[in-house]
Amino acid sequence: MENGLSSDRTDFVKFSGKSGEYFKLWFVNMFLSIITLGIYSAWAKVRDTQYMYGHTSVDDNSFRFLATPMQILKGRIVAVIIFIIYMALSKMSPALSIVMALAFLVAFPWLIIQGIKFSMRMTAYRNVRFSFEGTYGGVIVHFILLPILGAITLYLAMPWVVQQIQQYMHNNITYGGKHFEQKSSAGQYYIAVLFSVGIALIGGAIIAALGGTAIAAADGGLSLGLVFVGLASFALFGIVNAVYQSIIFNHLMATLEIENVVSFDAQMKTLPFAILVLTNILLIVVTFGLAIPVVKIRTSRYIASVTQVTIKPGINELINTVEGSDSALGEEAAGLFDSDLSII
Amino acid sequence: MQTSIKGTYQLAGRSESHPASAIIFETGQVIIQHLNGESIMDVWPDDYQFSDVIPGLAVDLVLADGALFVPHDKRYRWPQLTSSNLLAEWLESHWLVVLSSVLVVPLFLWSMVNYVLPGAAHAAVAFLPNSIAESMGEQTLYILDKTQFDPSELDAKQQQHVSQLWHRITTQLELPDDKYQLHFRKFDRGANAMALPDGSIIVTDDIVTLMKDDPDALLSVLLHEVGHVEHQHSLKMVAQTTATTMLFAMMFGDIDGAGELILGAGTGLLQTAFSRDMEREADEFSHQNLPAFNISPAAFADAMTLLANSHSLSDDEESDSDGSDKDTRENEQKIKSKIMHWLQYLSSHPETQERINTARKKGEENNELL
Repeated sequence: MENGLSSDRTDFVKFSGKSGEYFKLWFVNMFLSIITLGIYSAWAKVRDTQYMYGHTSVDDNSFRFLATPMQILKGRIVAVIIFIIYMALSKMSPALSIVMALAFLVAFPWLIIQGIKFSMRMTAYRNVRFSFEGTYGGVIVHFILLPILGAITLYLAMPWVVQQIQQYMHNNITYGGKHFEQKSSAGQYYIAVLFSVGIALIGGAIIAALGGTAIAAADGGLSLGLVFVGLASFALFGIVNAVYQSIIFNHLMATLEIENVVSFDAQMKTLPFAILVLTNILLIVVTFGLAIPVVKIRTSRYIASVTQVTIKPGINELINTVEGSDSALGEEAAGLFDSDLSII
Repeated sequence: MQTSIKGTYQLAGRSESHPASAIIFETGQVIIQHLNGESIMDVWPDDYQFSDVIPGLAVDLVLADGALFVPHDKRYRWPQLTSSNLLAEWLESHWLVVLSSVLVVPLFLWSMVNYVLPGAAHAAVAFLPNSIAESMGEQTLYILDKTQFDPSELDAKQQQHVSQLWHRITTQLELPDDKYQLHFRKFDRGANAMALPDGSIIVTDDIVTLMKDDPDALLSVLLHEVGHVEHQHSLKMVAQTTATTMLFAMMFGDIDGAGELILGAGTGLLQTAFSRDMEREADEFSHQNLPAFNISPAAFADAMTLLANSHSLSDDEESDSDGSDKDTRENEQKIKSKIMHWLQYLSSHPETQERINTARKKGEENNELL
């Protein structure tokens, strides 16, 4: 009996990670990293990622993270050395920092490519690895030239630029040698921006009007008015963010596929996502950061629960095309320099 | 004695997989077979490994060629697994380890940020060659001249008056002339003085005019700036923020989204806290050295009062223009002072009133001593 399928199968992504379990794993790994002066952090990263990947499954098969701790450790050591030199030199000499910035600009596309390539190649589903085939030139165009264009058009072209960037990223991810195809349209990005900016303006005006009255009303009501303005702005931020994210996420998923292998769909809704993000922030602030692992689980669980994957017959014939001996330097450096990009 | 478990056989290097079962013998031999009993593979311990043992996840049997057997039962733990295979999972689920981690991790962060990193940064700064402070100072002044400052418009008499004060300081404190240099600049954003790491002290035209009748106040401000240089505050700030940014990046580098936003805000708050500590240290330097000039530390309180008034005055001028009546003005003041109270946590300087009070107290203590 073969695990083949003759027709398409559609199901939601399943995320089985548990807050309590992951909380323990996260804290113990952090603890072990500290008492080993950071060396265990490479093992911690592997276990952490394996937990998150392993608990994410599509069509009853879970993802696997295949990097070894030694790969991560080597990359991490080199990245830390470069980072220290960079920080120290650029802060001590403003002139040198310009030179450093230029050097960073040259290294930036390379870092991005290496980083994404590493995390993709270390990700496998059904024993077939992902990869990334972006080129230096392509990254320069999409991460340096287009953003400049976006800025000089007074940000009018920015939604288009962001769409181009995300499309470029997704189009260059491969799975079993087959390219993902992202057929997104810039129009949806403009709609997302218009909606979120519109809501921000209207909401901001309402808060200003109500808050102004509340503050002016009475001496006693003064602090109450301030509290109201604070909370309302916080909620508005959550909603505006969620409006944009949900439109874009749903659109990206609906237009992403590998022909005859897989296609996606998503039904992220504004309000639940806004509540998720806002409660996440509150959780982190109230617990002074202790809730970070809980927040990661909540977020992954929600994203999985709104994302649908359709597996097609072609998935059974894929052959792995990728070896796993890459260097983790790019990925680690990207993490430190905060230029790592979350994909999908 | 043998056990049989159900699972999925995943072929090496391809997406194809089959439902299968694994029969495990006490010798370590494992036979993987199709559900109809047809054998797929017969392997011995040298031919296979196990994937990492992660809480809540199945442990895969990894064959030498990369093929996998994935048990259906996620809690199944192979008898061949050694205690070192299981150690990490055991640690991650043992309540005592978890409890100590939850205590140690925040404690570690707190002590690193408050004691270890500042201590290390301060120690490291002592080893930095002078040339670094010099080039930092020169370049900062160059950039400020290009962006913020204009040449001073004070007349020679006014400049000379300040230079004399400055000369008193350098002589009394025996400061090397080639290091400590006084600069006059015009600055749009009001009365201010600042110190650069190489010993350049800049006074703005406005502060000179503001304190023209109170040379003691101006001298106390200059001493405050000398304090910044003597304590190597700029370099310490660089070392300290580099170290903390580094620590946060290493510990939380993988976090993005809301968490990242909050971490960023956290490091920002820390930086302003460092800065407030340094301001207090420079204030203290001023308080301690003023008596040597026969000036009470209270002069620094006068200087702060003058500065605070000059800045709130320029604020008032702006708000005057919208012609609001007195009641709302008072109301606005109240709101402002409440907001200011909370804003001090965001500020690079301690609250002015606090600084004035400290200086007054020092002044009184000083009087008692005399």
